[in-house]
Amino acid sequence: MPLETATGAVRTGLIAFAFLSYLILIGIPGRIGGPALPVLALIAALFFWLKLRRESNEPSREATGQRQDSFDDKPGWEIGPRAASKGSRLRDLLHTHSGTAPILYGLLAGLTTGLLIAIVSGIFAAAMGNGIAIQPVLDKIVPLNVAALIGVSPGQIAQSDVSFIRFIFQVLLFAGAGVLAGLTAAGGGYGLKQAAFLDRLTTHLSGATLTSAGRFAGMALPFVLLAYIAWLGLPGVTAFGTNEGTVRLLLTLIATGSGLFTLRLSRPGREQMAVAVLLGLGVFSMPFILDQFQNSVMGLVFIFVMMGLGLNIVVGYAGLLDLGYVAFFAIGAYTYAFLSAPFSSPYISGLLILLGISPESPLLGYWMALPVAMLTAAVGGILLGIPVLRLRGDYLAIVTLGFGEIIRLFMLNLGELTNGPRGILEISQPALFGHTPVDVTFGLLSSQGWIFLLALVSSALVAFVATRLNESRLGRAWFAMQEDEDVAEATGVHLVRTKLLAFAIGATFAGMAGQLYAARQINIFPENFSLFVSIDALALIIVGGIGSPAGIVLGALALKGLPEVLRGVDEYRIVTFAALLVIMMIVRPDGILPSARRRIQSPDPEEAGAAGEPELREEDPGLRENGEALAKGAGVREEDP
Amino acid sequence: MTALLSIQQVTKVFGGLTAVDSVDLDIAERSITSLIGPNGAGKTTLFNCMTGLHRPEGGEILFSGRSLIGLRPDEIIDRGVARTYQNIRLFGRMTALENVLVGQHLRLQASHWSAVLRTSRQQAEERAAREFGRELLDFVGLSGREEVVSTNLPYGDQRLLEVARALGSRPSLLLLDEPAAGMNPSETDSMMDLVHRLRDEKGITVFLIEHDMKVVMSISESVAVLDYGEKIAEGTPEEVRSNARVIEAYLGPEVAVQEAAVKAVH
Repeated sequence: MPLETATGAVRTGLIAFAFLSYLILIGIPGRIGGPALPVLALIAALFFWLKLRRESNEPSREATGQRQDSFDDKPGWEIGPRAASKGSRLRDLLHTHSGTAPILYGLLAGLTTGLLIAIVSGIFAAAMGNGIAIQPVLDKIVPLNVAALIGVSPGQIAQSDVSFIRFIFQVLLFAGAGVLAGLTAAGGGYGLKQAAFLDRLTTHLSGATLTSAGRFAGMALPFVLLAYIAWLGLPGVTAFGTNEGTVRLLLTLIATGSGLFTLRLSRPGREQMAVAVLLGLGVFSMPFILDQFQNSVMGLVFIFVMMGLGLNIVVGYAGLLDLGYVAFFAIGAYTYAFLSAPFSSPYISGLLILLGISPESPLLGYWMALPVAMLTAAVGGILLGIPVLRLRGDYLAIVTLGFGEIIRLFMLNLGELTNGPRGILEISQPALFGHTPVDVTFGLLSSQGWIFLLALVSSALVAFVATRLNESRLGRAWFAMQEDEDVAEATGVHLVRTKLLAFAIGATFAGMAGQLYAARQINIFPENFSLFVSIDALALIIVGGIGSPAGIVLGALALKGLPEVLRGVDEYRIVTFAALLVIMMIVRPDGILPSARRRIQSPDPEEAGAAGEPELREEDPGLRENGEALAKGAGVREEDP
Repeated sequence: MTALLSIQQVTKVFGGLTAVDSVDLDIAERSITSLIGPNGAGKTTLFNCMTGLHRPEGGEILFSGRSLIGLRPDEIIDRGVARTYQNIRLFGRMTALENVLVGQHLRLQASHWSAVLRTSRQQAEERAAREFGRELLDFVGLSGREEVVSTNLPYGDQRLLEVARALGSRPSLLLLDEPAAGMNPSETDSMMDLVHRLRDEKGITVFLIEHDMKVVMSISESVAVLDYGEKIAEGTPEEVRSNARVIEAYLGPEVAVQEAAVKAVH
């Protein structure tokens, strides 16, 4: 193994260590408990594997030695049907290529990571055992994490009662992870004797290559997770000790996210249909198997999915940067609150009494109020849209920002009408066939589960409408407007109508989300609708991938779901989260799952393939998409914990 | 022949600069007319006045007898005046076919509700639009490139795609702003051929700005010359070629005097 490769491996190990220490810092090991170390080792293995795989993709000088020229076709790593058809090419490679490079590489990288983790956890353990106070701010999480890492209880650390063997075990575990990654990578591409059993195993499993085995494994993941979550919900079953609730929530987030990748991994046609139906069943069963806390978090996540999808129409499709999107969310929430809460402004109650209606009783139920809330929000969207028709870019952003604040200040200061900062209380819950959902389902569906279910259904509906619109002539007009407003107008796009439609439709969806949010919160206050809601909504579509509904779901899971999982480490929650955002945007500037159009512009050389060879894309769009989705899928699952 | 487009005393002022100064010009139906002039003569500004990007300070532009002044760009293209741009302005991230579909935008009728529900009528319209889009791409010579993202097209093809996009709105007058700029000789030839076919097969009146004199002289039926915003000459290519003011505008007064002297000697 040349020196260059060795330093490369050490570097990979260092990066893996940095990533893992980040996970340790945010308290993941303490959260997982006993199995923390194997889980971290698995994450490291996945990381090494990705790294090796990427190198075998590029005609790399490191792992492949001198044989660069024979590698231009990137064989062996396609996913799905094409991989099988490339069999002969693969066999050629098996003969031309031999060397233990990937395994040594993996071993070295794993050793580096393991040693570093052992040293660091050893230092911490020793320091704490000797009664040296570690910086107070770290105090809260470090003992737990260190203890989890070396597989002992926190008390044992305090007594400095940790055997050396445990540290050796740590190193071995990571070294093993590296070797495993090396073997897995070698199994598909390098043709090592040592990897033969892996090859046989995967051939046996999938009938083709390792990649299809990976594909099936990826497709099975959300279902396995869902089954596990359901099993965890059974009375008397526990996992990972005390943090079961959070673990289940985390698994739910991962299951939902990986479901989206599964959909992309499946072959278009009957397979995709089947997977979609199964996934739908799985996802819609979640509100029934989760508990109140998990349901309430997931409900919030999907309310934000609706927000994201609506904002995506304005920002992603029409290219109008709207920082005051919370305004329509607030309009929807307050409209519903007015109609369904006992509170009634003195202006209106007089009128109501005159009409013989008791001002205390709700005017409209959830379902009757829905069109009203949507319409009010849409009118709000048009009212905002008209003055900003001529504004672009930064100017538009500032004006919309102001609009969002105006609405909030209205709610805050028009005390007589909106009850001011005291908010509107006791908003009625959405009924299910005129009864509470708990009664109708004999306790199967909790009140928060019902909200989650409603959020899921509404999100699906909103995603459906948004996607259909985007694929119609209106979507083309939006996109044309985003590309070049003047030319779009000169090509026949009615700018006023097209822009106002974007604002109005986006606002309608926010209004729906706002209404559901009010029902979820039961009591709403003006401070629920601060600027940060707008920023969250914008951040989640940027993180997820502007213009792509699947990306938006992922963005919402990451932005609204993850912070709840991290609740245990409150001091670090926001910092962690901000750091995650920064890293995320550097690594994937187009978002986790960018839309095909965004991908075209991507400067990433790996993805330039899609742009550089449009003819290829034409041949079989499914294959290429699938391949990219797998690469991303693996990457995201790695980032998710 | 009746005038399809009639420009009367059009004036456009930017600050203190009169970019277009009382220009009169008639474009006959089913003709190919060129507008030439040195850089900065106001040619593109005149185009912009015709397509609603600029509003002229004075004058009148009549298209099929109706005024275009004060209309929005999308209303003007609805009347049947489409254009291309000097610096290519395609919708870069869209495919070639999508660009042409945007070109057809104002000819499509389906409501947005029907797009959500995918009614059979809306689907039929979309299919027809795609079919027409393919025909247009075929017409300009871009068949087989429908799904190529337009920024990835070669330069010459991008110019052709701009023409196809403009044709999407089924115009009766097509304004081409330097269609052959930056093209190699064979591409220029096919562009000239395309301009002829636009007129002969589609019956479209073509009004173009061009710098390449070979193109201008060989395809135009009449030529108008602008200099410093004023129209200094108009006529057949031969008349314009020998016009002293045109030579002066292009080559400078000294050369014009010399030419005149040479003529006088002969």
